Amino acid sequence: MSKSVDQPTHLDRSSLSLEQIVEHFEADRSRALRRGRFVQLLQVLVITGLLGGAFQASGFFSSYLGDGAIGRIANFLTRLLPDLQPDRLFEDRTTSGSLMYWLYDLDLWLKLLAETVQIAIVATVLGAIFALPLSFLAARNLTPAVWIYWTVRRTSELVRTLPDIIVALILVAAFGLGPIPGVIALTLGTTASLTKLFAEANEAADMHQLEALQSSGGNWWQQLRFGLMPQVLPNLASYSLLRLEINVGGAAALGIVGAGGIGVELSRAITFTEFDTYFALLLLIVGLIFVLDLTSEAIRDRLIGAEKTA
Amino acid sequence: MIAQLNLIERATLIAPNSVYLPWTNRVGRWFCWIVAVILFGWMCHNLELRFEVLVRGFTKLGVLTKAMFPPVANGAELKILQSLLVTFAMAVSGTVLGIMVALPLGIIGAKNVIRNSASHFVIRRTLDILRGVPVLVWALVMISAFGLGPIAGVIALALADFPHLAKQFAEAIENSDAKPSQGILASGGNRLEAMRLGLLPQVVPVMASQSLYTLESNFRNAAILGVVGAGGIGFELEERIRIFAFDQVAWIVVAYVMSVTLLDWISSQMRARLV
Repeated sequence: MSKSVDQPTHLDRSSLSLEQIVEHFEADRSRALRRGRFVQLLQVLVITGLLGGAFQASGFFSSYLGDGAIGRIANFLTRLLPDLQPDRLFEDRTTSGSLMYWLYDLDLWLKLLAETVQIAIVATVLGAIFALPLSFLAARNLTPAVWIYWTVRRTSELVRTLPDIIVALILVAAFGLGPIPGVIALTLGTTASLTKLFAEANEAADMHQLEALQSSGGNWWQQLRFGLMPQVLPNLASYSLLRLEINVGGAAALGIVGAGGIGVELSRAITFTEFDTYFALLLLIVGLIFVLDLTSEAIRDRLIGAEKTA
Repeated sequence: MIAQLNLIERATLIAPNSVYLPWTNRVGRWFCWIVAVILFGWMCHNLELRFEVLVRGFTKLGVLTKAMFPPVANGAELKILQSLLVTFAMAVSGTVLGIMVALPLGIIGAKNVIRNSASHFVIRRTLDILRGVPVLVWALVMISAFGLGPIAGVIALALADFPHLAKQFAEAIENSDAKPSQGILASGGNRLEAMRLGLLPQVVPVMASQSLYTLESNFRNAAILGVVGAGGIGFELEERIRIFAFDQVAWIVVAYVMSVTLLDWISSQMRARLV
């Protein structure tokens, strides 16, 4: 029994009774616990201090929100809601209180919404096209040389640290206002993140199938096409769809810096304090992303299902 | 005779459909590809993605890039580093606030905690809808409500994060093993003890890891909030892009990328120790 207890080495166990051994053990245990508690307390104090510092630095405590901040937020929220009159709901856009008066520029908004989706789709497709060859270079099992693997991986990490909006901001200075800087910024971000995801899918692939093709005389391209692609394609498609969802949200936000899409109207509505318009645009964006999420979730489920049965 | 043929021809001879699909399927496939390419071209046309526009833009981008070297801060080093600090402080505060809101929602949104499917449905769908709002859109709203400054950014970050976190927390709880809790209940523990000793040890590492992941993404999100006026490094950046001071822009970007890389590394070390 005494052997199973982890005793300090200085203790001569043979000369002690069972009670004494237990006593020593308890003393050691409580000492260890106290030390553990002390470290824990120290950790809690340090983290609390850091958090407090963070809240302080971000102006959480010191911000002057004005008198009756709650009332102002409530006031703001009521200004978000449109003024709809039930008896005039279906009048035309010149009648205040009607639906069309609230959604006064619906045609333009739907066009911009379509533009947002197109920016996202084009950027995702381009990003996936660029990422595919890069992912072979960035996969440890397929790369021709270690330094290529390393360079591609680090570059994609570096690009991923830069938010799309910042890139778009710089690109707007070069390309001018419009959807093109948005497309390029999103393509860049998509390429970087898909390169990583694709490369990881490639690394998880079963190499035996490529080896079988190689041993029966298949060249590099044939190995990839018939050995690797059937294994990873469902995964790659699933990742691309996930990225498409992210890009639609990104494209909606990009307009705020002037890079095309519905965001342009969003920032206009805010600058002209048309909060009910802002709310309408918000509903449109959220509705779009919601529908898109459901669609791509359904497609992804089918893709993963196809992969599992294959 | 067979040995003279190449790999694909040999395989086709042995099993006709093993390499290439029957021609009807191939025609169908080609048709889909052609439709996809036409659609893609049509979208590019709509977005005015033309060759000469790209050439002109990239030429100008080259000029701007040349103006970025050498990166200098023009005596504003301290101010920039300070606003970097504010940015990361915003990220931390926003994430913590988000976690505090997400925790109770995640618990009551988990199927195995509250078995009422109606409440589960309502909570999950509401979170789904809220997840659609990009953080920059929240920021615009919060700036109108709270005025310019980092506090608007903190609240925007928290609002953008909590639906994601709540969903992940709920899934972590749902994926936990019920047996430890059952064991504690069976040996005389009450519900609270079952939660504390049976459930928490399973879900806390997962939740902490997801929270750290959110923190990492918020280091990026916080940087863009300044662009619309919610304080931090984005504000400094936007200001300098507007006056075409691209050498200072480059300095800020380099400082930002370096500190984010460092913070990501710290966070990934912590995550690796958790899981």
